[in-house]
Amino acid sequence: MMEPYFIHFSLLILFLPLAAFVVQIFFGKHLPRQGDWVSVGAVVITLVLSLIMFVTMLFGHDSGFTEEASFTWLDMGAFSIQLGFLIDNITIIMLVVVALISTCSHVFSLQYMAGDIRYSRYYAYLGLFTFSMNGIVLANNLISMYMSWELVGVSSYLLIGHWFEKDTAADAGKKAFLTNRVGDIGFFIGIMLLYTSIGSFMFGDIFTGVAAGKIAGTTLTLAGIGLFMGAMGKSSQFPLHIWLPDAMEGPTPVSALMHAATMVAAGVYMSVRLFPLFTPDALLVVAYVGGFTALFAASIAVTQTDIKKVLAYSTVSQLGYMILAVGTGVYTAAFFHLLTHAMFKANLFYGSGSVIHAMHHALHKKHDHNTDPQDMRNMGGFKDKMPVTYWTMLISTLAIAGVPLFSGFLSKDAILAGTLAFAQHHPAHLLLPVFGFGAAALTAFYMFRLMFLTFHGAPQMPELIDDIHESPKEMTGPLVLLASLSVFIFYTLPYVNPLSDHGWFTDLVVAGNSFVPGNIPAHEIAEHAHDAHYTAMYISVAVAFFGIALAVLMYLGKVFSAENWAKSAGRLYDWSRNKYYFDENYDRFLYQPFFRLANKVAWLDWDLYDKYFINGFGRFTDWLSRVTGRFDYEGIDQGLVDGTGRIIDYLGSAFRKLQTGRLQNYLLYVTASLIILTIIQAF
Amino acid sequence: MTNLQSLDFYWPELILTGVIVLAIILDLLLDKKDSGKVGWVLILGLITVALAIYIQDGSKTTTLFMDSIVLDPFASFFKMLVILATIFVSVVSWHSGELTEYRKGEYFTLLGIVVLGLFLMVSAVDLVMVYLSIEVVSIMSFILAGYLKQNTRSNEAGLKYVVYGAFSSGIMLFGISILYGLAGSTNYFEVQQAVVDLDETANAALVMALVMILAGFGYKVSAVPFHFWTPDVYEGAPITITAYLSVAPKAGALAMMIRFFNQVLADGGAMTGIEGVSMTNMPWPEILALLAVITMSLGNLVAIQQNNLKRMLAYSSIAHAGYMLLALPVMSTQGVYAVMIYLVMYLFMNLGAFFVVIAVKNKTGGETFDDYRGLGWEMPLVGVVMTIFMVSLTGLPPTAGFIGKFYIFAALVKGGPQFYYLVILAGINSVVSLYYYLRVVKVMFLEGERSETILQPPAVMMGMLLLTAIPTVLFGIYWSPIANWIQHSLTFFIQTI
Amino acid sequence: MGILSLLIWLPILGMVTIAFIPRKYEKYIKITAAVATGIQLLLSLVLWQRFDAGIGTMQFMERLEWIPSFNIAYILGIDGLSLPMVILTALLCFICVFVSWNISKAVKGYFALFLLLDTGIIGVFLSLDFFLFYVFWEVMLLPMYFLIGIWGGPQREYAAIKFFLYTLFGSVLMLVGILGLYFSCGKTFDIPELMRIAPEALQGVVWWGMSGIKVIWVLLFIGFAIKVPVFPFHTWLPLAHVEAPTAISVILAGILLKLGVYGILRINYGLMPDGVYWFSGALAFLGLINVIWGGLCALAQTDLKKLVAYSSVNHMGYALIGMAAVIAAGAANGTNFKAAQAGIGGAVFQMFNHGTISAMLFILVGVIYERAHHRDIDGFGGLASQMPVYAGITAVAFFAGLGLPGLSGFISEAMCFIGAFPVYRGIVIASTIGILLNAAYFLWAFQRIFFGELNEKYNKLPEINRLELFTVVPLLVITIFFGIYPAPYLDIIARTMDMIINSVVSLSTFAGM
Repeated sequence: MMEPYFIHFSLLILFLPLAAFVVQIFFGKHLPRQGDWVSVGAVVITLVLSLIMFVTMLFGHDSGFTEEASFTWLDMGAFSIQLGFLIDNITIIMLVVVALISTCSHVFSLQYMAGDIRYSRYYAYLGLFTFSMNGIVLANNLISMYMSWELVGVSSYLLIGHWFEKDTAADAGKKAFLTNRVGDIGFFIGIMLLYTSIGSFMFGDIFTGVAAGKIAGTTLTLAGIGLFMGAMGKSSQFPLHIWLPDAMEGPTPVSALMHAATMVAAGVYMSVRLFPLFTPDALLVVAYVGGFTALFAASIAVTQTDIKKVLAYSTVSQLGYMILAVGTGVYTAAFFHLLTHAMFKANLFYGSGSVIHAMHHALHKKHDHNTDPQDMRNMGGFKDKMPVTYWTMLISTLAIAGVPLFSGFLSKDAILAGTLAFAQHHPAHLLLPVFGFGAAALTAFYMFRLMFLTFHGAPQMPELIDDIHESPKEMTGPLVLLASLSVFIFYTLPYVNPLSDHGWFTDLVVAGNSFVPGNIPAHEIAEHAHDAHYTAMYISVAVAFFGIALAVLMYLGKVFSAENWAKSAGRLYDWSRNKYYFDENYDRFLYQPFFRLANKVAWLDWDLYDKYFINGFGRFTDWLSRVTGRFDYEGIDQGLVDGTGRIIDYLGSAFRKLQTGRLQNYLLYVTASLIILTIIQAF
Repeated sequence: MTNLQSLDFYWPELILTGVIVLAIILDLLLDKKDSGKVGWVLILGLITVALAIYIQDGSKTTTLFMDSIVLDPFASFFKMLVILATIFVSVVSWHSGELTEYRKGEYFTLLGIVVLGLFLMVSAVDLVMVYLSIEVVSIMSFILAGYLKQNTRSNEAGLKYVVYGAFSSGIMLFGISILYGLAGSTNYFEVQQAVVDLDETANAALVMALVMILAGFGYKVSAVPFHFWTPDVYEGAPITITAYLSVAPKAGALAMMIRFFNQVLADGGAMTGIEGVSMTNMPWPEILALLAVITMSLGNLVAIQQNNLKRMLAYSSIAHAGYMLLALPVMSTQGVYAVMIYLVMYLFMNLGAFFVVIAVKNKTGGETFDDYRGLGWEMPLVGVVMTIFMVSLTGLPPTAGFIGKFYIFAALVKGGPQFYYLVILAGINSVVSLYYYLRVVKVMFLEGERSETILQPPAVMMGMLLLTAIPTVLFGIYWSPIANWIQHSLTFFIQTI
Repeated sequence: MGILSLLIWLPILGMVTIAFIPRKYEKYIKITAAVATGIQLLLSLVLWQRFDAGIGTMQFMERLEWIPSFNIAYILGIDGLSLPMVILTALLCFICVFVSWNISKAVKGYFALFLLLDTGIIGVFLSLDFFLFYVFWEVMLLPMYFLIGIWGGPQREYAAIKFFLYTLFGSVLMLVGILGLYFSCGKTFDIPELMRIAPEALQGVVWWGMSGIKVIWVLLFIGFAIKVPVFPFHTWLPLAHVEAPTAISVILAGILLKLGVYGILRINYGLMPDGVYWFSGALAFLGLINVIWGGLCALAQTDLKKLVAYSSVNHMGYALIGMAAVIAAGAANGTNFKAAQAGIGGAVFQMFNHGTISAMLFILVGVIYERAHHRDIDGFGGLASQMPVYAGITAVAFFAGLGLPGLSGFISEAMCFIGAFPVYRGIVIASTIGILLNAAYFLWAFQRIFFGELNEKYNKLPEINRLELFTVVPLLVITIFFGIYPAPYLDIIARTMDMIINSVVSLSTFAGM
């Protein structure tokens, strides 16, 4: 099917939010309602447009559909850069995700951000983000992807730091941007490696170039790893994961939109897009980074008490899953998980937002500004107070835990199957599925822990409980919508088989072969995964229920106490509780030395090099001039040997009364220099 | 050419002599307060002399008075230079505060005699005449330096000058006599001949002779290590005289040196437009180069330390002598050319600088840097003019000083790799010099605040400042006329062997 | 009189006019300056409009006899390399008249000197006679000395003289190099002529036993490097930039630094292509040092203006790296014309972008200094809520400075890197650290000034006013425009860049090296 109007749609989808941003920046304050309707309107239109594209795609039944359009951005003759759009099923699905979650956030914020001092600014930045995120999604070349990539970074910087009066918020924003830049350096080096060998930035050219072997072996591996570094930054993979939890300083809708559903998924999206050029070695790196992150982050989430922190680490862990999937070759599964995760994770964040909102108001009523409204240890028993929030969050929790009948089960299962299959064919990498399943168990556990601590049991702060109320419908609306989107049915249509991910998605998003000569063809990978499917399913379901059961016993049934476990865990517990002291150690072994270096260099430059070396010339000249000056004058007395000096005194004593006594010395000096010159001449 | 015939070609000098006599007589008739009028005689006289030289000079080259002096455009060029300097100085002398309480009759007369001496100096091709001219110039300068009878510094300056001058010209005379002993003649061309076919054994004597003669020259251009009189004399003497000494005798001496080195020690190639070649096997070019480097470096370095403008300018003039000497070892036409153009530019900027010192002394009565604090705000015009001179002395475009340096550097680079290090050294020197020249600008403008009342020096003084400042800028931008004049004056009387 | 001469002499005309205006009519003096620079700006735009981007050679040539006896002539011309610089100069000078609108001390002198400086700069960019070039080069020094020395900050006298000595040292070496070229290339100062003759004429020239090309190259390079400033010669810059009045800092950072790069490209590259091959490695390495060293120094600063100054050192480093890339087109490097174009194009683009961005930064620093009377980064805090517009503009300027896509700085930096990568892989990879450093020092400074609780001292601080907006917004617009659509700029320079590349590539035999 050819749908040229998609390009025009994409243009609108891309630039409407930007227009909203511009309007908000310049006129936001002066518009009625501070112009929130401008932004909301803009994203709603983009949602509609992308849904139209989506539906067209669904009924197009064309897994190979692509639409591309480019224009010359700059051209110096030999060196030129084209920018443009690449629209295929993946793009369209991603557009829908972005537009949908973005719309939810816009709507959710109407209440959540009401009365904020920088209300219009906030919406402006949301617009900027939506624009740059769509930029990444639509890019058909590395340059515009990189550009949008960085712009996404900026908008997250601005939104995380929205409440910049709080130093923590300002710090978090800066941290996010800088950590991302570290990844971006890798990204850019990757771009340069590819361009140098292939001479183009277009995905198409690059793939053909790779296929033609213009770039191969280590170079290609390095290029891949470089690009993946960018993904690590954005998707906050270990060891660049540190920024995401801090990013929770931003308003909760932002966390939901960017730091759960879309922005952090950009890394995954990119590795999915560029999957065909990753060499096996590069993929292995990807797999291990992803797998490790998945388990590692989950193990931190287990002990966090800040509701948003738990979700943050859960996000890191889930992103780990996706990356793992890319690494093991089942990148469509990764994208599938991206899709489902976007829905239920965003929902969880909105849920937490709604809870925090409630807590906030309750505390506000009590004029209590010390208790942390995000700490689960202050909650408990909200179940009946905020039923909508509870039930929607419960659904999402089941989804993320990988319980059948819910979306998460399908995607996660696909990933685990892929991983398992990979391990079966490369027994050396048995660790990967272990990461996967381990993370699955922990996920189930900590998510239910969160649910129980928040909604079940006796209220930890009974005085508050009366003031806890369900949130208004601007906030619950998105909850309901997204929760329902966490049900399997939406992904398996037109088929209804809760145990298989087979559906429109798998029909439309079909893995293509890698362009790296000698990589395993896609269909083999698919077959392996299919073979591993049932095994993976049983295990994953088992571990999920194990995790849930543990949570139930520990926090609901109180069969065994968390405290004792924590104590017995000892060191392990501390590590997890303190996020393995990553921030502390980075600070100690990275930032501090770095700043010391900077200060040292500045000192070297200013106080040493300039003051002493450069000015040294001046001082030397000055000194020289003094010396010559003296030599040229009084010095001459000593200039000659004392003996002669005395003779002069003797001879000159007669003249002395008349004279200063210098003159004769000149004369003598002249005679002397004559003699010297004569000697020089002679030889 | 016999003496009698020579007189036909000698009438510029004859006119000058007449002017001097006239001046003396007039001085006797006038009483003290308007004895300044003698200046008019001198100035008008000099103008006529200039005209005479102009008319006479048809690029005619010949020797006069039995080969003791020559008449050639080269000489005429320097004569013109000297006249110009003398006129400038004379005009300013009327308005110099120092001289008010003195009779100026002798003053102008003596200046006239100095001019005559310099005329001889620039055209001398005979060692005896060289000595004679040097003495004439020196003795007059002694008196002029000590002209301020009531001022001990001035007297001291005069006396030092006498003793020093006597001493060095004595040495020079000694050298000359040795050379005569070797060559059997005092005439340049014959001496050159003799030097050529002198055998090794006589080398030591020749060396002695040359070094001693060099002492005489060095004393006149105040080149290190024969410069010690300069600071004291310059500081003690009336500023007008200091200005004069820093320009005219230097010019004369340089002309003399150019002739001597190119026609006695080299084959005079530089004078016929080709690269000259040394006629002796001794390294006198290197010696000269060494002297030049030492001279400019010491001049600049010591100048940094000075707090008295006069004294600073004294050392700066030593430095400039060094720059000019750089061009001699090259023994090329370009070298001579460079020295000549440098002298023209130097004349304007250096006289101008001294005139500013006079103007300021008339106002504040001082010569130290403190007397210049904030001057740029009180007397903006003087400040600007002084800045121009300082920049020009440093040698920055677009000023005359840069053109002078440019030609010197060019001559050296043209001279070949063995001279490049001289260029670098000269360059570094001008960077050093920037420091103390700018110090004047700094105290004038950067220090002190804007004042409500703006002062102006008397009209004539201002006129003289502009008369020196405008060329300093103009010749920095367009100097073709000068260049052509020099090109045309580069004809020497020469007797090749 | 051609349009180019007009461009050069207009400011002088303004200066003379000002000289005749009695000093009490300050308003008219300012207006005169504004008019002079304004017309100059219009002329430069006319020039742009009439400029034929299709050819890389010199256009609008003017030639007058000057000093025939020394083969010195008055030759002007403009090509893709100088046109953008001329426009930039005209623009910044015009803007700076308004930046210095509130100068109270000796207005007359200030604007007279300012216009003289303007002439000097334009002159350097337009003159095609090496002697003329040198004259203009030096003419800039004195006005700059006064402008820093009289209207500057507390350490102004020291800064002024240091700047002067530093630069003069360089230009003296330059003069020697010029004379060397003159005498070894058939006694001419005519730069286009030299471009033709020099490459062959210099073969086999020997100075001090070394290849003349190398010696002359180094002599000229040092002269230009001091202006850029390249690493070991950079220490005049922070001092001068910090002490100079805002407008002059803008001129310094915006234009004077470009003169160095311009000189290297016009003279060293144009006249000694062999030298390029020999030196480009060092050039790239120096660029790397500039990037890292400048970045680290900037990170450690507590004085905002000094931070910006060091950021200039850092940013010019990218240009150096880009310039080095030109040899990628050589056969030895696989005749990679794409890289060569990207590199040198990026360098020349970076010149312009840094010109606008750093100008913007200095103006903004000036704005806050006007109000708070200090520049201590840690002395502010929370200003974003007090003066949001100012904060917003500063944010954009800072983001431009840290090379954010969508703003012009990014493209030029990226091009420099992409261009140099094939040849200097290691150096480029090392210097990508600079990308991180830029972000670090700019964001950190931004946070310390604008974020956090509002510093009570400043809860009365007025918002940026109309005049200041008028000075900064044009630059902002340019930065954004070229960030989104750089093609117009690159179209202008492309053909000239090709000329440079070709001369380097085709004439690069290692004979005589």
